[in-house]
Amino acid sequence: MFQPVQDRWRNVFLCVVAFVAGVGALALLQSLPPAHRRRLTGIVTFVVGLYFPLEFFYPRHNFLTPWRDSVSEVLRVLAAFAFGLGAVNLFLIHGRHVARRTPNLIFSLAFFAGFFLMAGAGLMNDFAKGFLAAEPKVGQLGFWEASYRILFQGALLPLTSTVFSLLAFFIASAAYRAFRARTLEALLLMVTSFLVMLANVPYGLTVTSFLPDEGIWRWGRIENLVQWMMTQINAPAMRAILFGVWVGAVGAALRIWLSLERTFVSGP
Amino acid sequence: MEHARPDTIYAYLPWIVAAVIGGGLVLAQAGRSLYIRRLPAIDAIEEAVGRATEMGRPILFVPGLAGVDVPTFQAVAIAGRVARLAAAYRTRLLMPVSNSVIFTMAEQVLREAYASAGGSELFRPEDIRFLSEDQFAFASGVIGLMNRERIATAFFFGNFAAEALILAETGQSLGAIQIAGTPSTLQIPFFIAACDFTVIGEEYYAVTAYLTREPILVGSVWGQDLSRITLAGLIFLMSANMWWLPEWIKSFFSFW
Repeated sequence: MFQPVQDRWRNVFLCVVAFVAGVGALALLQSLPPAHRRRLTGIVTFVVGLYFPLEFFYPRHNFLTPWRDSVSEVLRVLAAFAFGLGAVNLFLIHGRHVARRTPNLIFSLAFFAGFFLMAGAGLMNDFAKGFLAAEPKVGQLGFWEASYRILFQGALLPLTSTVFSLLAFFIASAAYRAFRARTLEALLLMVTSFLVMLANVPYGLTVTSFLPDEGIWRWGRIENLVQWMMTQINAPAMRAILFGVWVGAVGAALRIWLSLERTFVSGP
Repeated sequence: MEHARPDTIYAYLPWIVAAVIGGGLVLAQAGRSLYIRRLPAIDAIEEAVGRATEMGRPILFVPGLAGVDVPTFQAVAIAGRVARLAAAYRTRLLMPVSNSVIFTMAEQVLREAYASAGGSELFRPEDIRFLSEDQFAFASGVIGLMNRERIATAFFFGNFAAEALILAETGQSLGAIQIAGTPSTLQIPFFIAACDFTVIGEEYYAVTAYLTREPILVGSVWGQDLSRITLAGLIFLMSANMWWLPEWIKSFFSFW
């Protein structure tokens, strides 16, 4: 709907105006009595919430379609306002630990070190490659880019993978509890999971490979049996749950849209 | 995004469902008594809060990993009810979040929940923590919090992904009583394996109605159930149509 502004200073000016207008609108909203504030937010929620279903369920390329990207961007900008609050919260909590020298001080120091190192390296890499370092030549790896790569690819990604890898051990311990055959349901679960696991390893397929892949005997082959279980038992059950979930989601969305349920913004 | 085609039922189905749910709301507003079946997982919430109080250890509430969406709004609403109970029992509630928007909402909801239970002085803003938006950084932050604070009770409500089992198994190893609820079908088995009680499927959206018994919320749940029965009947009818219905009815349904 709107073309990007090419003029740099005009862009900066518009950003400042938008920021001041946004802060002013929020301050105005806060100054209203609670009843008026609730009514106003309810009206805004209803009007904005009406846009997406109308745009989607009206035949394609209708008069609302050109506004779709702009409306989505406005929602993203609104979310960005709250991002700063998250950072402020982190600083307050960890700052308190540092000031009071609590037993968790070391973790708070790690937070500050990680925050400033990652933010600094990322910002310098994007905006000031020559800051406190030699300006990299074309094709050369600069100091800030190298720092960013070390922190992101060399530290953050391996740490993330490490936490993810814990899942393998947790799956084993959870499976041990879930598969103890104490009831008929648990026994069925155990047998089914054993067959599914067997069908997903190369050795498992060899167990029944002597059976023919045609006629009634084909159901004795583990891959066919498991395929049948996954498509005829597992998939319909999953779809039935999803069916219930999505009708429930429509109901919950309707309550939120019509401001009938407000406990998620104003408490019980 | 593909638009709905007006020559199919999909363009009208959400409006029909919305109308049925709206009917439930109207009935509830008119004072009609509507029934919701028992949900043992939700009945156990008070018991779980009481257990944390007896043990003198905090409660943990994780509202999932998603940002601004309907399941997370539901999770924050449930957190408000849990906070109210926690305030009544004088027990500390920890709530790590992974989204800055949800963080501000959660702070407001919990502050008001404590106030409504007469425990404003117990509310500690630092107990609501924005940890990280990164999935596994958040998970490791929550695990650390659970271990350091030795939580007695854990609630996991909202959208979860692979971190679901990491969190639930940590709670299990600490001996915490755990109640979970998620609309993510892939995570339901993990929660069932690792938690004491699990809310699955459509029950997730009925929790606030079940807890508050507010007529509007109960009416909405009743309308949802009626929609499900209608839609399931429609699916059955369409399937049956393939085998034994007369040609003229088949041609009528083929319009959809």
